[in-house]
Amino acid sequence: MNTRDLLRLVLSNLNRMRGRAIMTAMGVVIGTAAIVVLIALASGLQRSTTESLSSIGAVNQITVFAGFRRFGPSSDSGTEPVLTPDALDKFSKLPGVEAVTPYVSVNARNITMNRLTANVSITGLDPRAIDALGLVAEQGTNRMGTFGVIVGSRTGEQFNDPRLPRRADEPPPDLYGQTLLAELQRTNDAGEQITRKVRLHVVGVLAERGGQDDTSIYMRLADAEDLTGWLQGGRVNRDREGYQQAVVVVSDPDTTLSTTTAISDMGFTAFSATSALQQINILFAVVQAVFGGIGAISLIVAAIGIANTMIMSILERTREIGLMKAVGASNRDVMSVFLTEAGAIGLLGGIGGVLFGIGAAKIIDLIAVAYISGQNAASGSTAAAPTSLVFVPTWLPIFAILFSVFIGLAAGIYPALRAVQLNPVTALKYE
Amino acid sequence: MTFIEIRDIKRHFTLGGSIVKALDGVSLSIERGEMLALMGPSGSGKTTLMNVVGGLDQPDAGRIIIDGEDITHFDGNRLAQYRQRQVGFVFQSFNLIASMTALQNVEFPMIFAHVSPSKRKRRAEALLKAVGLGDRMDHKPTELSGGQQQRVAMARALVNRPTILLGDEPTGNLDSHTGDEILAMLQRLNEQGQTIIMVTHDPRVASYAKRTIHMLDGLIQEDQARPSEPSLMKDAAS
Ligand SMILES: Nc1ncnc2c1ncn2[C@@H]1O[C@H](COP(=O)(O)OP(=O)(O)OP(=O)(O)O)[C@@H](O)[C@H]1O
Ligand SMILES: [Mg+2]
Repeated sequence: MNTRDLLRLVLSNLNRMRGRAIMTAMGVVIGTAAIVVLIALASGLQRSTTESLSSIGAVNQITVFAGFRRFGPSSDSGTEPVLTPDALDKFSKLPGVEAVTPYVSVNARNITMNRLTANVSITGLDPRAIDALGLVAEQGTNRMGTFGVIVGSRTGEQFNDPRLPRRADEPPPDLYGQTLLAELQRTNDAGEQITRKVRLHVVGVLAERGGQDDTSIYMRLADAEDLTGWLQGGRVNRDREGYQQAVVVVSDPDTTLSTTTAISDMGFTAFSATSALQQINILFAVVQAVFGGIGAISLIVAAIGIANTMIMSILERTREIGLMKAVGASNRDVMSVFLTEAGAIGLLGGIGGVLFGIGAAKIIDLIAVAYISGQNAASGSTAAAPTSLVFVPTWLPIFAILFSVFIGLAAGIYPALRAVQLNPVTALKYE
Repeated sequence: MTFIEIRDIKRHFTLGGSIVKALDGVSLSIERGEMLALMGPSGSGKTTLMNVVGGLDQPDAGRIIIDGEDITHFDGNRLAQYRQRQVGFVFQSFNLIASMTALQNVEFPMIFAHVSPSKRKRRAEALLKAVGLGDRMDHKPTELSGGQQQRVAMARALVNRPTILLGDEPTGNLDSHTGDEILAMLQRLNEQGQTIIMVTHDPRVASYAKRTIHMLDGLIQEDQARPSEPSLMKDAAS
């Protein structure tokens, strides 16, 4: 029996029992739709998470901290990995590394602008790394001068008058061109509190990045070293003590992971958004599997429905099966007919389920996005509303349909075997 | 060489603890081109014998040789192939598929014999015309009379050009007039060389055959050859 005849026969058989076939396929529709909706939700969540992570723009940046002391004997015996200028030099020689800069935090007691006060971090950076770090000026320049600092796009929002809180409709101060006063404090050798006030001239405001860059103040590394030296009562010997933190920028984001590993292998604690992404992707793979599994359970219930329908139809068509055998159908022919019928019910349900599931996912998406935008408007949040919460990867409908066909075939095995094993003599006598 | 050779065939069924000897040592030789009537009381084993000859059932003992080939121990696939190539069945209850038209019913066995669709259609149409149903090809079985349904079944049985045509009371569900039409058809086929075995309770039906076997309790009681009676055949043909 060739494929075309098989399909024709199966189609006419299904058409004959179409009411029951459709009802049975409905079970598959629901199961498949559940799989599609749940996985689309998980995928959408994954996508928006990874998108917001990568919008930090850090896919090509690696944050490095001084390493932990190693236990036991190691090749570089006793030398604790310290972020010395030498170490940074080694990083910069790794393949694909574009720039390396220490991050030196200056702990100012507070920063003021006229009557406004802010509590924001000041970070010292190597000016040569500014472009590689992707810090682009929206106003002014990103070229820092002596105590000429650049600020994030939302750093201004951090400045408040402690006695007169800013009204909701009042715009935050524009820091561009302003002079900020940073107040540093330490205890001198005599045990007295001494204060140093530093004027910081804002030479540029950075374009929005969506990360902590947006609320920072960046100054030249040399200035930061000057201030930390003052705070510690003497210049810090970086060759011995090292930096607390450094950032390595690679030119090709594809090398981020390998470079992160290379730095970790040198004994440092290296971290990148890419490695976080990798972890998040693993997490979401698990979430998808769990969600898909929930849908799969409903498909198994549907499979029982298919098996039941097939057993019923084989019972009703007993004489016909006897006749098929009498006119020379082989066991393989009989098997193919009933397996294909079951598989076709699975296919039908799968297609219906994918259409229904995608439709349902789109509706959920519309409602959820509208709800979140509403919430944002109500709370006055300026956070961008997500454009889409569900995402249907191309593999999903294909997988869902193949899976439901597989379920149909699996459900058809037992009934088809029963048909094959029918004795033609008794089958032809069956009333 | 004997066409159908049945040697000491036994077929026993256990039914509720007791053994039913449906065939209890049947031996029979049938030549190519014979038309044979199987008679005997109900339960004497006629259908069982037909099923064994037709490859629908297998004997518990004895041997059955068709055209020199021993089919006694054929496996399922070879038996299916044997039925497909050599045997045509006509049943008392027609056994047409209700959802299919007359044409589709006749085409049905050819699907399993891998006959091409165009050839299938041509052969089925020709056979339906030959049984006088050229104008009923697209009718479903429910739209046909009993006699017409049995004619469709006849066409279906012949469609793969079987060497053996088996009829288990082919006229059993028909009135005598319609029955005679079917019998005349069978007789014409036999005249063209078709080997036919048919089961019947009716001596008048049996009289269309040149040889009658009487069975009783799973055994052949009488094997009766009769010279042809031209007058009777002429009656039926007219
Ligand atoms: N599958 C079976 N299981 C048990 N007993 C069976 C089976 N098939 C046939 N028999 C028994 O074998 C015997 C012969 O049956 P068979 O059908 O061959 O008779 P028959 O001569 O065709 O009768 P009828 O004229 O009524 O059709 C009967 O007693 C029947 O009950
Ligand atoms: Mg019988």
